Amino acid sequence: MNIFDNALFQKSIYAFLKYGVLAFLILFAMTTIFPFVYSIVLSTHDQEGISSLGVSMGLGIDLVENYNELLQRTAFWTGITNSAIIAILGTVISIFFCSMCGYSLAVYKFKGRNVIFGIMLLSMMIPPVLSLIPYFLIVDMLGLMNTHFAVWVPFTIAPMGIFLVRQYVVASIPKDLLEAAKLDGAGEFRIYSTIVMPLLKPSLATLAIIQFVFLWNNFLQPLVILEGDKAVIITMIRSMQGTPDAPMGAIILGSFLSMLPLILVFVVSSKQMISGLTSGAVK
Amino acid sequence: MASISFKNVVKSYGDVNIIKGLDLEIADKEFVVLVGPSGCGKSTTLRMIAGLEDITDGQLLIGDRVVNNVHPKERDVAMVFQSYALYPHMTVAENIAFGLKLRKMPKAEIKKLVDDAADNLGLSHLLERKPKDLSGGQRQRVALGRAIVRKPSVFLFDEPLSNLDAELRVHMRAEIGKLQKRLGVTAVYVTHDQVEAMTMGDRICVLHKGELQQVGTPLELYDTPCNVFIAGFIGTPNMNFFNAAISEDGTTFTSDVVSGSVPSNWAEVCANKKGQEVIVGYRPEDVRPEDEQKCVNQKSFAGQIDIVETLGHEVVVYMDVAGHEEKVTGKMDPHKVPRSGDKMTFAMNLDKLHMFDSETKKRL
Repeated sequence: MNIFDNALFQKSIYAFLKYGVLAFLILFAMTTIFPFVYSIVLSTHDQEGISSLGVSMGLGIDLVENYNELLQRTAFWTGITNSAIIAILGTVISIFFCSMCGYSLAVYKFKGRNVIFGIMLLSMMIPPVLSLIPYFLIVDMLGLMNTHFAVWVPFTIAPMGIFLVRQYVVASIPKDLLEAAKLDGAGEFRIYSTIVMPLLKPSLATLAIIQFVFLWNNFLQPLVILEGDKAVIITMIRSMQGTPDAPMGAIILGSFLSMLPLILVFVVSSKQMISGLTSGAVK
Repeated sequence: MASISFKNVVKSYGDVNIIKGLDLEIADKEFVVLVGPSGCGKSTTLRMIAGLEDITDGQLLIGDRVVNNVHPKERDVAMVFQSYALYPHMTVAENIAFGLKLRKMPKAEIKKLVDDAADNLGLSHLLERKPKDLSGGQRQRVALGRAIVRKPSVFLFDEPLSNLDAELRVHMRAEIGKLQKRLGVTAVYVTHDQVEAMTMGDRICVLHKGELQQVGTPLELYDTPCNVFIAGFIGTPNMNFFNAAISEDGTTFTSDVVSGSVPSNWAEVCANKKGQEVIVGYRPEDVRPEDEQKCVNQKSFAGQIDIVETLGHEVVVYMDVAGHEEKVTGKMDPHKVPRSGDKMTFAMNLDKLHMFDSETKKRL
């Protein structure tokens, strides 16, 4: 009898594959999580401890001292507040703009619609660094240097977000629904706000996470136009790192603390986000 | 008053004419069914009444008002869609109330109207549910509720029953008919199902390739179809057609299946068509086995049964007849079901003849 026809053999192969895949996934999950866990460990050690530690998971006793050092060296909570203002304002307003743009590109038929959509997609292929100098010049010309406004406003029209919403509307919002609302007596803005917006929730949650993470982590633009008490947390921590006696424990603690809002946003909207990303894939 | 008038209405997309000059009068409180094969322009016509499609040329009037450029919400029409188009994030009550809320009606009045509509349609116990928790029939009734609650002067239905199972469809057919009569509104109903058309409409309009073929009561269309298309489209199974020639004296006709004397009601027509080619048609119910055919003016022919459809109250047979390319359809007693391949003698009731011009395909 052929060994491949043997039920026991097939069962063992199946088990081997199943546990093999599981082990592989666990290994990669660990690799991803390790830096986060390790940064918690390191933030409890002092300067000397960190440089002599090697790779050890033992917790130190210098957490409070690192925190005090962090506050002494930077305006940490000011940085967090600045980052939060930029990320929240930018996210909320981009949800508004992107949903309107995406919806209109999906639903209305007007001249140049495809050209606009094409240009928008093309703009996604331009490396962000390329636009840094024009960005700086425009901000300077408008007299918006060292303002938060100049950091979040340009990103409220996000091609990626518009694309996401457009695709979601095409796949998930039937034309009949919009026509029914029209016959019920709703105007264009009413249809958008009362019928379309609630149905866009999954794609807007996805967009919110993408935008929040982007704006929170955005480094280049704040670096070139913000300074002093207007700076965001990312640039503040980076500037600490550049000093000769950089306090590594405080820097790592600051980095870890600055990640917490992102994790919080993700946990809150991940369920909606997954349904947003997979919408249209399965009917 | 909400009569609807189409005055030479044209609808085109670029160079393609979807509706080619439609002239139609729909009276106040009339139930008119637009029927036709896919792509004939019936849904487009309905959507033009609703204001969801622009009118390329001509005039459309609702009542005395030209509505070519009137926004849908100003037209006082309500539409029931094939997909029901219920707002999925709203409850049944909110769905029904949506149009009223937009009209800024007081809350108490909205509640009363919604309760009345729900009562009317047997939806009272479902008011707090979302559409996803309802069955197809319930969703259909919510869509109806949303339409009636606004008390529009025109009701539009776009194939509203095509997603329902057969039993529910028959039930809803009757319900919609009763509702329209009770509310006394003008209704335009689009369907491709001719049984729906025949049973529901005060009048039926048959469209084909963007042109209005015939308007009339269901029986008018059935008994006196104005051309070969209508004759073939109305009635299930389809009418049998044969190429025939009228004799030189105009008293008899000869076709590849049957020949015989011209019935008296066609004598005058045939007198003008002496020696010419025509198309004759017989409905399947006028083609029966020889022993079942109880009429005076009949003609027999031999056929070989090919397909047998047993419907319970009758049997439909499709047979091959020597010398005729297409199958001939007949009906017979349900208790004598033949088998495929059986040879039988059938007879046509010659008095039930339909005759069409072989060139223009129009009824003579």
